[in-house]
Amino acid sequence: MTVSSDTAHLYDGKTVRSGAPSRKHAAGKMTSSVEIPKDAIPEVNIPSFVESLFGGPLVPKMKFLPAAKNVQNLQFASAGAMVVLAVLTYIVTPQVGTPWFAFGNLLGIPAIGTALHVLIILGSIMTGFWGVFQRDARFLLASYVLFILISLRFAASTVTFSADLLPDSEGAQKSLLVLYAVFLVMYIELSNGVIRFSMLDTSIRTGEVYVMNEKKVLSRYQASLILTPLIAGTVAFLTLFVNVIIPWFIGIIDDTAAQRMSESVELTSVYGVALGTMLVFLVVAGMFAINLPLRIQQFREQSDE
Amino acid sequence: MAWSRKSAMFASLAAALYLLGLVLRNQQLVTVAVVFLSFLTYAAFRTSHADVAATGRRMEDQDFDEGAEFRNLNAMRQLSQARVFEDSDIDVTLRIQNLSNLSRILEVRDSVPEVMRVKKGANYALMELGGRRETELKYTLECPLRGFYTVGPVAVRVQDTFGLFHREKEIHLYDDFLVFPKMEDVKDAFVKSRVPKIFTGAVNIRQPGEGSNFYNLREYVPGDPMRKVNWKAYARSGKMMVNDFERDAVSDIILIIDSRNVSETGPVSRNSLVYSTRAAASLAQYFLSRRDSVGLVIYGDEIVSVDRDTGKKQLYILLTKLAGAMARGNTPLKVVTNRIMPHINKGSPIIILSPLEDDPTVVDAVRDFRAREFDVTLLSPSSLEFEFDARRLDRTGYEVLKTERDILISELRGLGANVMDWEPDMLLSTALAGARGF
Repeated sequence: MTVSSDTAHLYDGKTVRSGAPSRKHAAGKMTSSVEIPKDAIPEVNIPSFVESLFGGPLVPKMKFLPAAKNVQNLQFASAGAMVVLAVLTYIVTPQVGTPWFAFGNLLGIPAIGTALHVLIILGSIMTGFWGVFQRDARFLLASYVLFILISLRFAASTVTFSADLLPDSEGAQKSLLVLYAVFLVMYIELSNGVIRFSMLDTSIRTGEVYVMNEKKVLSRYQASLILTPLIAGTVAFLTLFVNVIIPWFIGIIDDTAAQRMSESVELTSVYGVALGTMLVFLVVAGMFAINLPLRIQQFREQSDE
Repeated sequence: MAWSRKSAMFASLAAALYLLGLVLRNQQLVTVAVVFLSFLTYAAFRTSHADVAATGRRMEDQDFDEGAEFRNLNAMRQLSQARVFEDSDIDVTLRIQNLSNLSRILEVRDSVPEVMRVKKGANYALMELGGRRETELKYTLECPLRGFYTVGPVAVRVQDTFGLFHREKEIHLYDDFLVFPKMEDVKDAFVKSRVPKIFTGAVNIRQPGEGSNFYNLREYVPGDPMRKVNWKAYARSGKMMVNDFERDAVSDIILIIDSRNVSETGPVSRNSLVYSTRAAASLAQYFLSRRDSVGLVIYGDEIVSVDRDTGKKQLYILLTKLAGAMARGNTPLKVVTNRIMPHINKGSPIIILSPLEDDPTVVDAVRDFRAREFDVTLLSPSSLEFEFDARRLDRTGYEVLKTERDILISELRGLGANVMDWEPDMLLSTALAGARGF
């Protein structure tokens, strides 16, 4: 009786010969070691913490098939978003207040701080490019960390930029800040999408997953890529312009109080933004509390009938 | 609604940046945090809140179950066969219906038994399913090992486009099927009963009687039918001579399978129990095809027996029992022999399939059988070889155990049993012939 080669997948990670050797033959060849041979123990891949953030084993261990068109589009989109983000980061993130700025000053060579500042931005771009085009999640993670690291600084309570050529108006400055934040989130999402869709594409092409209406699935993702930043940006605008919105409401009742509020340092500072965030997310929490998404869904289903 | 690791990472990052922004008085960090939170919130809003509660129904039941409350999603499954042999394929058709008016993106995974491989198609699909639409997922399962199996449940996941949040539901739709051990074509089992039953069968026994093969010539005695008269012999000798034929008869064959824990030693698809069940299935088919009665005893944690019978129905009963044989317990062979001996005809052929390990009663049990003139054939798939093949056994251990095994086999042969140390790559027919000393 022979064992069918069809059951080979049951021996994954092990080499098992099809027939037993004769005793004499085996006695002549086998070593006297009593250790368990390495290939007798199947390999078990347990994702590390960092890997688990990406939803499984870090992808460099997985061999992707050459990027499909949609993956290539995502790669170019995320590279583009990253370049814009890098420029915006340089504009909205002055080196004043950063640890490396303090370090440079401590040494009496402020250029060190500037050099490190630029180096971090360049580092985030280079790791980002490598991560995006090599589809290597480790480099993407490094790029995210560097992009966030650069903005960690003690700052003045209000918005300050590193470039003097930028508009002085509060609205323009805050818009730029929102744009920066939206691009940061979009870069993270797009580059993450490169990995996700590469995995999906590889799974489709190896027959592991079957995708029906692939174009529709992709078009929904693309629509979300446009719609979601717009909404996130709008919410951020609302929170940042709380010093305009609240006084506008107050102005209906009392113009003087509204005038005072709009000039209040607290409202224009970061604490004003915190207040705006609280108000906006109170409304959002209320929506969830009344189960609005489900009600909208039910309404849509009923209106279709 | 469940959070993915990605959404958890986004949320914790947003919270950390928000707090850091407040501590460092950094509007930039707070703004990034707000955008992250808005992104998450919108994704949570967009995650379809459709209730994926569903009812699973077999396709053929659908028409008769109009009253069942189907909400939004429904799944039905159909298997091409409910009983197959090892290494055969089963075609599975899974139909997913979206009863809602809204289209949605779904991830559907049909759970398949762990030992099986999807040979063709996919049991995992990502789909955009339009409102009031249905779709079919077809795949082929390869069944490499015998047993009772279940396909299902169907896991359905609805998630947002960014993979941040998802809702999951298992549709409890199950379909059972049976994989019989595969059978080898046996030309001759070299097993004949010394006490045949009175019914005519396909086995020649070395006794004169009703049959088709010539046995000898003898003188005519009154009452012999004229068609048996050998006229040529009469012409030669001048005496009325008649032809005697070799008697064709049926026998009772008892197959005893060792399904104790120890019988599963070795790789999952190459162990004593797998070989024993395949051999038993092949032998059952062979004996039943020559109209013998075949009985089966499987012993592990309990003794399961199938009474002797003939015919195709008996074959399926035996195959079903063999498919369900699980390696459990440690019942000694002696207990089995004591239990069954009073119920089997003296002298019937008994075929034992056992690795002969971890059972000190084997010699006594075989001695008892032989003392009552049972024709004992013992095929012993050697778990030592399986272990050695899988490189789980070192040379010294192998040699010591092999020597012990050889001594035991010699002792059993000394009792008059036909014993074969069955190595993994040996055909069953060869092993049977080897047991008889061919």
